[in-house]
Amino acid sequence: MRPTAWAVLSLALLSGPAKSAAARTEAKPTTIRVFAAASLQEAFRAIGARFEAAHPGTRLEFNFAGSQVLRTQIEQGAEADLFASADTEHVAALTRAGLADPPQIFAHNRLVVVTPANNKRVRRLTDLGRPRVRIVMAGPAVPAGRYADQALAALGRDPAFGAALEAAVRGNVVSLESNVRAVLAKVQLGEADAGFVYETDARAAGGRVRVIALPPRAEVRTTCAATVLRAARARPEALAFLHSLLGPEARLLLRGLAFRP
Amino acid sequence: MEDQAPRWARAGWALRVSSLLLPLFLALPLVSLVLRLDPRAWLEHVASPVALRAFVLTLETTAVATVLSAALGLPLAWLLARHRFRGSDVVDTLVALPVTIPPVVVGVALLMAFGRQGLVGRAFDLLGIHVAFTSVAVVMAQMTIASPFFVRAARAGFEAVDPALEHAALTLGASPWRVFWTVSVPLARPALFAGLVLCWARALSEFGATMMFAGNFPGRTQTLSLAVMSAMESDLDTAVAVASLSLLLGLAALLVARGAARRWWVAGG
Repeated sequence: MRPTAWAVLSLALLSGPAKSAAARTEAKPTTIRVFAAASLQEAFRAIGARFEAAHPGTRLEFNFAGSQVLRTQIEQGAEADLFASADTEHVAALTRAGLADPPQIFAHNRLVVVTPANNKRVRRLTDLGRPRVRIVMAGPAVPAGRYADQALAALGRDPAFGAALEAAVRGNVVSLESNVRAVLAKVQLGEADAGFVYETDARAAGGRVRVIALPPRAEVRTTCAATVLRAARARPEALAFLHSLLGPEARLLLRGLAFRP
Repeated sequence: MEDQAPRWARAGWALRVSSLLLPLFLALPLVSLVLRLDPRAWLEHVASPVALRAFVLTLETTAVATVLSAALGLPLAWLLARHRFRGSDVVDTLVALPVTIPPVVVGVALLMAFGRQGLVGRAFDLLGIHVAFTSVAVVMAQMTIASPFFVRAARAGFEAVDPALEHAALTLGASPWRVFWTVSVPLARPALFAGLVLCWARALSEFGATMMFAGNFPGRTQTLSLAVMSAMESDLDTAVAVASLSLLLGLAALLVARGAARRWWVAGG
């Protein structure tokens, strides 16, 4: 190597340590990788922004998808620090497998039926069973799909609705989507006449969808749970984020987005 | 001469070893998939209603998509091979485009065209015709993605046919229609068949456009690739079993293509 190259190299080595101590806190923030249910996008972005502002040097990186997809990814070795599911079951499964801490419930939600704002085919819940109505819901492994299944079963037991109508509604389902936002998208596009989504999704869609609430007897109260993963690389930071998720400020934000305490 | 042979052999070894790296890389995931199978459980999963319905639906839709692609693609391929006309570049690009854009994008585009709010779909809707989220939508998605593969192969096949032969038939009094069917098509047969197999194989592996435009419902729009995705979200064993079915079909396509090619090359001399 030429002498000048040596000089440059030794200079770089000498100046290295002093510089990196400062850089570690400023230029290179710790990243918390958050795997969160598709329905939590707005909520987590908002809570995350506050968290980042309150914790300089910590950055959040989100992966939003159906909870069952995220769970499979984690089971298959995806590197995540925190997992937030739209139900408790997918978190509990990871806990049982020794991959995660016990689930912590941070919010509740409610299932509703949405239709495109200008839709004329579905005005009331009973219209869902009419011929040629196209309904979209989430698949059986997706939390929103399981909740929708529960709601339909409850409607079937309700004498005002009935088992025949329940069967007709199930027969009108044309697609089982892999997350609740895909359901919402197809309703917003007007491709489906109705879909089962969370109340918070309907809120996020604003005026583009019309909400039909489920009757009290078929009402499904859903539970969102989060956990820090055993293999978390940024464990202290992830625990701090989980803590703030359970704190009063986050609760206020969540309520603003139509989550239930 | 004597000195050169060993040196060439040494270079040959280096070449041979390095040429094995890609096949190893390609084979490893497939072998892992097969090794993950438990023979007894495999039968059970493959015979499950979800897998069977996906298998049957896949065979049906890909068959229709391939036949339609061939029927509509054959005259187009011939035209592109034999004639330059105003806008032939545009047609050529249009036909190639679905190969170069992501299938999900094609799916969104199909919704924009044939969806209920779509450009054409709106009119269909008034007539009471719904395409999106039906098996018809599956076929349309597969055709959009796969037909370019047929057209490309068929065009190359027609280009390789000596125009003098077609011309000779014409001067002997045969109509262009007859020349097409008795001279051009038989001579291009190996390429046409290769195109058919390619088109079918691509239709088999269609996922993105189908997911967007046809949705995902067992027995109606859930093809093998969609079934793999759905199963992967809840049950790895079923996912692997269904994936192996897909693998078998792909393998079958290749073997058929190779067998046919060998027969024709030998017969054609």
